[in-house]
This record gives sequence, C-alpha cells and structure tokens, in this order.
Amino acid sequence: MKLDPSIIARIQFAFTVSFHIIFPTMSIGLASFLAVIEALWLKTKKPVYLEIYKFWLSIFAMGFGIGVVTGIVLSFEFGLGFARFAQLAGPAIGPLIALEVLTAFFLEAGFLGIMLFGLHRVGPKLHFFATCMVAIGTVLSASWILSANSWMQTPAGVAIHDGHLTVVSWRHVLVNPSWLYRLPHMLTAAYLTASFMVAGIGAWYLLKGKHQHFARRTVSLGTAFGTVLIAGQVFIGDILYGTMLKHQPSKMQAAEGFWEKQSQSPAPYYLFIVPDQNNQRNRFQLGIPYLGSLWLTHSLDGRVEGLKNTPVQDQPSMGWVFYGFRTMYVIAIAMFALASASLWLRWRGKLFSTRWFLIALAWMTPSGIFATLGGWYTAEIGRQPYVIYGLLRTADAVSPVPAGTLLSSLIAFIVIYSIFFTAFLVFVIRAIRRGPTEMVEFVPSGSLKRALRPKIIASALGPEPISQ
Amino acid sequence: MRFSKILAGTTAVLVGVFFFFAIVGVFGLRLAIAGLAVFVLGAVVVCVAFPTQGSES
Repeated sequence: MKLDPSIIARIQFAFTVSFHIIFPTMSIGLASFLAVIEALWLKTKKPVYLEIYKFWLSIFAMGFGIGVVTGIVLSFEFGLGFARFAQLAGPAIGPLIALEVLTAFFLEAGFLGIMLFGLHRVGPKLHFFATCMVAIGTVLSASWILSANSWMQTPAGVAIHDGHLTVVSWRHVLVNPSWLYRLPHMLTAAYLTASFMVAGIGAWYLLKGKHQHFARRTVSLGTAFGTVLIAGQVFIGDILYGTMLKHQPSKMQAAEGFWEKQSQSPAPYYLFIVPDQNNQRNRFQLGIPYLGSLWLTHSLDGRVEGLKNTPVQDQPSMGWVFYGFRTMYVIAIAMFALASASLWLRWRGKLFSTRWFLIALAWMTPSGIFATLGGWYTAEIGRQPYVIYGLLRTADAVSPVPAGTLLSSLIAFIVIYSIFFTAFLVFVIRAIRRGPTEMVEFVPSGSLKRALRPKIIASALGPEPISQ
Repeated sequence: MRFSKILAGTTAVLVGVFFFFAIVGVFGLRLAIAGLAVFVLGAVVVCVAFPTQGSES
C-alpha cells in the first residue's frame, strides 16, 4: 500500500493540535477563573475562596504545563510536515508566533512561578497581581495565535510575487476579517469550558454528599458565569457564522449538510446525515422540518445554499464539517438550556437540591472541551482543500519528506501524547477524588516513585493563609 | 399541582427557546442585541438577588 505524505501530514497535525487545544482552552478559562476567585478571597477573606483557588490551581498548573509543551511541538511541525507552507507564509505567520513568545510567554513565565509557589512567600496583593498577569498572558497568547490562524482563514494584507509572499499591511494581517469575531468566540469558549468544568465537579461533590460548602460555592459561581457567557457565545457565534458565510461559503454550506445549489423550501435543519461526497448527495438524512429555513434564512420558507455552489475540487469534506459544527452547536444548546434551568432553580432556591440538574451538570463537566474540538474541526477542515484559504492548497504545502518518516513521527506522537494524557487524567481524577479539604504538598524527593505519590497534608488550609 | 408543574415547565421551555431564537438572530440583529441584553441583565439580577442556600460562609 502506498501512503500519501499529504494525508499522513494532515493526520499528524490534526492529532497533535486536537490534543494541544484541550489544554490552552482549560488554562485560559481557569486562569481568569482563578483571578476572580483570588479577588473574591482578598475582598471577603472567606476561606472557601482560598480553598477553591488552591484546588483549581493544581489542575490549572498541570494543564498549563502540558499545553505549553504540546504547543511548541506544533511550531516544529510546520517544518516537519508543512515546510512549503512555512516557506510561503513565514513572513506573515512567523512574526505573530514570535510576538506570542515575546509578550505572552514572557509574561506567563515571569509570573507563573509566583502564582504556583508564592502563596505563602509573597504578599497576597502581589500574588493576586501575578495571577492576573498569568491570566492576561493566556489572553495575549490566544490573541496572537488566533490572529495567525484567522489570517489563514481570511488572508489579508499580503501580496505574492514570483511565489514569494510579502506583507504590505501589518494592520490587515493582524486584524484580518475573521479575527475580530474568532478571538472573542475562542475566549468565550475557554471561559465556558472552565465554568462548566468548575460547576460540574461541584455538582458531582453535591451528588456524593462530599465537600458541601466548597461544592455549593463552585456550582453557584460556575452556573452564574456560565449563564452569562453562553448567551454571549451564542450571539458571537451567530455573528461569526455570518462572517464566514461571506468569506468562506463552502465551509458553511458543508456545515449545514445540503448539497443542491438551493435546498427545498421550507428547509429542514439536519441533525443526522450520511454524506456521499463522490456522488454529491446524502445517502440518508434526518432533520427537523422548517427549522433550517427559520434558523438559517430567518424566514419560514427560505432556501439554504448547498455545497454544489462550490466547485468539487474546492469542496471540504462535508461529513467532518457537518458533525464538527453539530457537536459544537448541540453542546451550546445544552449549555443554554442548563444555564436557563439554573436561573429558574436559583430563583426557586433549589439549585443544590435538584438531582436531575446536578446529574446533568456533572455530565457537562467536559462539554466545553468537546464543543471547542467540534468548533476547531469545523474551522480547520472547513477551510480545506486550502491551508491558506484561496492562496495555498494543503496538498502543495506538504514537506518533501517520505510518508514513512511522517508515519513514524506520528506513531511517536501518539505514544508520547497517550502517556501525557494518561498522566493528566490520573492526576486530575486523584485531585478530584481527594477533594479540596486535603491539599497536596509536593516535596522534592528525587524519587520518581515518591513523586507520583505526593505527601498529603490534611490540615493544609491552616490559619495562616486564611487570616491574611 | 401536577398541571401547574407542567404549565410552569412548558412556559419556562418556551421562554428559553424564544430567548435562544432571539439571540441567534432569527428575529433580526436589533432583537438579537435586545434579547442578549435582557437575558444577561436578567441572569445578573437573579444571581445577585437570589443568593443560593448555604452558599455563604
């Protein structure tokens, strides 16, 4: 069997970026959550906020570390798998990634140590300042990366002469047409991820009858933030949908599952399709009547544009884009429903005692991660067959290396990342099972065996930090 | 009692669906902005005015 290097390169990048995106999404959201919690602790002096801060700080630290390491790999992969892309896009993308390092990474590196280890070593206000700087650093990092990625979606401010790309306007490269909407969309996704994660773990404790005080406060905070954020996210998402429909119609055509240039009237909203890309049709489709017209054309009988409006050679894979988009959208609807229910239950005073709600909230703990992955698959696969939309096709961007080389590095990534992920899950599950009342103090021992069994100090939340 | 519960649940679902449709722009951009503002303000008011039981330390 002959392996196609472009397919292996794409699978490799898809795997590593899918793994990577989980961790920045969590750390962007958790960093800001921690800043809010520390501010509440400084303002109210209530020990429960310090308890929440310490519990989530350990999970944030682990996620942050894996996020940084796996992010660096992506930069190297530009050379490993997509050297021709790096060669062409370097003048535009390179400075943006360098600026991410110079601004965000330096800021985070400078203050992360204080945030993680300085709670008992520096004053509370300086520590809060460090937490805020790390949170700002994560936002800056997302801004630069989203600017680079949005430029690949909607390239602007460049000219190509004799196969060489020249930047003619940095302003247009940075503030390209989709960046202004994609950045808030991604940031809100990260904050939502953290909100539902925090609320979900709190709900799990309430269901188990453990750590009641901590759990009630986190469920209350998580659902309050989540409610405001999901409404904003739905609004931003709709504006972004309109922007992408204008700049990348093929992506949105694939996302809705219609093939014909004009759908039937009224158009259903498809929930499930079995697309046949070769024959340009769906083998099977299941949808809600009228809802497609209502949602997508804002009328009861509007027609929706299908993927046949795009030439076959320029079409993305409908199945991936459709299900990526549906995953994100269905989770957003579930979040909106749960957030609305939380308002009702809060009003009725039953937020912590309604079992079905707590079960649903606990199940929604990782929902933000799945929604983010769905959104990224929509964005990245929907841009295909281009790596820089309209400028460079993915097949022309691949490195001139044998498929076997790419395959062996892909296998290495899968093995190493599986170890990373297992370690992360073991750590997080242990931390959750242990709960907030017992804090883990890591004592350098020089022994890997002991490092994996950290010393537990039951009375870690002593009077010293609380009385500050 | 049972009927009133069903009625309350149905009303809550309908209000939620209306807000969702409004915010995603089904009724136009102006109503989307208005829907978003009302929902967010409503959420803030409910969260501030109805402190949850046992949440205060």
